[in-house]
Amino acid sequence: MSVVDTLREIRERVESELGSIDTSAALDALRVKVLGKKGELTALLKGMGQLAPEDRPKVGAQINEVRAWLTEKMDEAQERIHNAEQEAAMKAETIDVTEPRALPTVGSAHPITLVMNELIECFSGMGFDVMEGPEVELDHYNFELMNLPKNHPARDAQDTFYMDDNIVLRTHTSPMQARAMLTRPLPIRIICPGRVYRADEVDATHSPVFHQMEGLVIDEHVKMSDLRGTLEAFAKKLYGEGTTTRFRPSFFPFTEPSAEVDMTCVACHGKGCSICKGTGWIEVLGSGMVHPHVLEMCGIDSTKYAGFAFGIGLERIAMQRYGIRDMRLLYEGDARLFSQLR
Amino acid sequence: MKLAMNMLRQYVDIPVTPEEYSERMIMTGTAVEGIEDIAEGIEKVVVGRVLTCEDVEGTHLHQCTVDVGGEEPLHIVCGAPNVKAGALVPVALDGAKLPGGIKIKKGKLRGMVSEGMLCAATELKIPQELYPSVGDEGLLIFNEDYPVGSDIRPIVGIDDTAVDFEILANRPDCLCAMGIARETAAALNTEFKAPVITVKEAGGSFDDEVKVTVEAPDLCPRYAARVIKNVRIKESPLWLRKYLHGAGLRAINNIVDITNYVMIEYGHPMHAFDLSKVRGREIVVRRAHEGEMLTTLDGNEHALRTDDLVICDKERATGLAGVMGGEESEIVEGTTDVMFECASFDRTAIRLTSRAHGMRTEASGRFERGVACGTVMDALNRACQLVNELDAGDVVSGCFDFYPNPKPQKVITANVQRVQERAGVDIPAEDMVKIMRKLQFGCELEGDTLTVTVPSFREDMDGEADVCEECLRIYGYEHIGATNLRGETTQGGVSPMKALKDRIMRLLTGLGYLEIMNFSFTGVSEIKKLGLPEEDLRNQSMPIRNPLGEDTAVMRPTLVCDMMRTLAFNQNHSTETACLYEMAAVFDHHHPTEEGLPTETQTLCLGAYGPNVDFFTVRGALEAILRMCGITCEVEAGGDCYYHPGRKAKLVRGRDVFAVLGEVHPAVREKFDMPKRAVVAELNLQLLLTYAKPMGEMKPLPRFPAMQRDLALVMDEAVTVGPLMADMRKAAGKLLESIEMVDVYRAAQIGEGKKSVAFSLTFRAPDRTLTDEEVTKAMDKVLKTCSDKYSANIR
Repeated sequence: MSVVDTLREIRERVESELGSIDTSAALDALRVKVLGKKGELTALLKGMGQLAPEDRPKVGAQINEVRAWLTEKMDEAQERIHNAEQEAAMKAETIDVTEPRALPTVGSAHPITLVMNELIECFSGMGFDVMEGPEVELDHYNFELMNLPKNHPARDAQDTFYMDDNIVLRTHTSPMQARAMLTRPLPIRIICPGRVYRADEVDATHSPVFHQMEGLVIDEHVKMSDLRGTLEAFAKKLYGEGTTTRFRPSFFPFTEPSAEVDMTCVACHGKGCSICKGTGWIEVLGSGMVHPHVLEMCGIDSTKYAGFAFGIGLERIAMQRYGIRDMRLLYEGDARLFSQLR
Repeated sequence: MKLAMNMLRQYVDIPVTPEEYSERMIMTGTAVEGIEDIAEGIEKVVVGRVLTCEDVEGTHLHQCTVDVGGEEPLHIVCGAPNVKAGALVPVALDGAKLPGGIKIKKGKLRGMVSEGMLCAATELKIPQELYPSVGDEGLLIFNEDYPVGSDIRPIVGIDDTAVDFEILANRPDCLCAMGIARETAAALNTEFKAPVITVKEAGGSFDDEVKVTVEAPDLCPRYAARVIKNVRIKESPLWLRKYLHGAGLRAINNIVDITNYVMIEYGHPMHAFDLSKVRGREIVVRRAHEGEMLTTLDGNEHALRTDDLVICDKERATGLAGVMGGEESEIVEGTTDVMFECASFDRTAIRLTSRAHGMRTEASGRFERGVACGTVMDALNRACQLVNELDAGDVVSGCFDFYPNPKPQKVITANVQRVQERAGVDIPAEDMVKIMRKLQFGCELEGDTLTVTVPSFREDMDGEADVCEECLRIYGYEHIGATNLRGETTQGGVSPMKALKDRIMRLLTGLGYLEIMNFSFTGVSEIKKLGLPEEDLRNQSMPIRNPLGEDTAVMRPTLVCDMMRTLAFNQNHSTETACLYEMAAVFDHHHPTEEGLPTETQTLCLGAYGPNVDFFTVRGALEAILRMCGITCEVEAGGDCYYHPGRKAKLVRGRDVFAVLGEVHPAVREKFDMPKRAVVAELNLQLLLTYAKPMGEMKPLPRFPAMQRDLALVMDEAVTVGPLMADMRKAAGKLLESIEMVDVYRAAQIGEGKKSVAFSLTFRAPDRTLTDEEVTKAMDKVLKTCSDKYSANIR
């Protein structure tokens, strides 16, 4: 058989074998057998000495051409086999992705903390600074500086826990107004979140411990409309763009004029439902212009400065937001309930 | 406070529906709790005359024909025993409505056509004090003659709407029809018509009838009285009865009804004395004597305080002033001579008396909130005018009026611009004047200044801010626009403590912890469960003087009690795993602040249990928090007695104890009814905040390779790994980058009471590749220390 014939034979044989090879091992064996140091093509090259010298370059070129062609085919086969093997391996590794597994446990802050933080974020964006103070408070700050002298009948409305004649559990976050006015430079723009206490028996809507957030602004030329602007911005942030506020005249000893502030009912968007008792409004907070007596008692010139204050109850907002119907659940610490928070 | 709208209409026009009226009142500051139809929904019930009435055999029924003013009489079947021909009765026509939503329709009863229903008083819900003849059994039969076919509602006085007002604490003047009428006139911009009071005197002289002395003018700034003779006790006319009914009061007799009517009309509680029962015809208003006793109208006996104001006759105290009268001088059927008392008592004194004796009456409630001195005589004379009108007796000429220090007329000046600025609404000055006058203030405008003369009943008015509120609320709060705050920019932000709490919250919630909140007070018995040594100050926590109960009587000195209770609660509610935290203040009054308040220390409490939770889970959470704050603490065995003696530790740095943790002591668990093991920890947030360091720069990545050496040491069980590792670190010198404990191994071949602890030590120099010799030298020092100090040798 001539070299040329042998080459053709090798070429045809390898081509057909490659078609049926499906493992890397078989391919490697073929590669060694044909292209290896002791392979068939090497043998052919070695046998070139027996050829006529003038034929050698031509045959050599032919052998190299075949080698190049075979190498290319084997590389192609190798890629095909590698891919197929990878596919097969992955197929064997298939998992049931629908199989249920336990979630990593993620905790949560308390509903009150969640609401409080939301409110803080909203007001600190408007330049309000968070200030905190004692829960066991002097009567002086809790009542007297809030325009509620001893034996004032409005004191009765706030069933107060007394430690002694001069020390109470603060009945509202309002004493922080006095503390701020007495210690901070003007202008003042603060919020004071925290626990407050009233001697109410525990039931679905009352708790002797609850949370409020006081807001206070003192500056020159502060107006009642600034209060409304601030609270409207807060209402929109808390409950969405469509929310508005309604101011109703009210009475607090430490503000004049005073206003009870309602917000569009979240549940019915003002149409009237069971949550808002058909009015379309939900009572959210009490507010007003800081009483001139309060300013003067706290050493601020009431002819030059004015201010507004508001107090928001956090429990009501949290209960509405999370659909908690009984206030006691907030203070029971049942993990089955709180683990639903996200 | 309820009032009938028709009563109000005597003094002011109300040209709107009850719903519109209520809305307008709410928006001008007089809250309305509700409006109720006094007729309770009665419709199409008319007066009818029974023409014929025949018994239906074998039943209790009667077949009647009834004239209701139509062309033909109606055929009605009636079961009432007292129905008879000729009687004038209420007839519910076809389509009529009765209280409770009952509808009457034409129908058949036992085959007989019935075109309506004859009604009993109970079916119409008409109380006897409103319409006296309703008390009879069965059918209501009218005693008076009324045209057939007329609506029964005006006849029995229920054709009205009652409005239930909620009056703000600063507006006691609104606790009466006069006050509401003034507000109404301003709110609806209609006319207020005050009654014109004239009294027809019948001669005689007050002073001849009774002697009055006020010995305590500080508690009784005004006391007025008049006498009525030849009293003719009878029933009050329907108009008076129905207004009392609308206000939720019962009609009794003309004299008592007059005092009650004047109370709801003028807001002055009055008292009527039967003068024949007043010993010595003498009234003395004085403080009670030490040890004096008094039996009040309700039959209760009271030991009086010397600050109680009492009304006495010549012999003894007969009533608690402003709270409750005495039984003896009550108005009865045979009363002939009456003294009306109308006074103003000190509100604080009444409040304290009412509180001390546990008596809250309509009168005491009003006096506590404040009854103006200025209108005392008006109310008294109004009562006498009603005596004239009702022909209830003869008003004796003259009166008693003790008012030694008349309150001066208050005048407030207000600047129009300042009022406008405060309100944030440009209320025109002329409107301010109109509004103030509508509210019965005197008001003059001169330039920019309003001069406001305050009527005596408006004791709440003090200054310009009050004028602003009056103008703004009547002008309308809806005019308050929304403006943005101006002026100096302020930096908003949270306090350092709040920021720290927020970071801890994020870390702990990521670790799977849920936040809980507990009350800030607890019970002494709850703290006792911890079994603290007697001298521990937490046993003497700050008491509340008026607690709700024993379980909420003291401020909590620690958060662990509530945590243990909550852990137990969750264990007993089948929750397999729970990791909880609370951040709150603990209270210590043994170390008061400069202001004399208890020290409030913000504290973090952790509590956890579950199959994958142990001591180290909780210690890990604490260490993660400390690491977050850049604080390195040593772990020291030991801690509070309520922890397991072998499983408790303190995280300390120098003399500062940052945290104490441990598995709950089994005995304590039993006391808290906690079936499973749990780990609890407390961390002092105040201390953490004091020492927390900001993050600062990161270390550059190492440029030279590290060398690692592993080591297993056998040692006695008693050797604590923490201190051992600290010594290893010291011995290894500064080439040591880190040392970690890999595992602890216990087995027979290691020996009884021994353990094998494996460590991995990493050495590195910042400026070169270490040589084997350098590391071996360091390791030798480590081994020597371990051997010398701990008898811990290579395994």
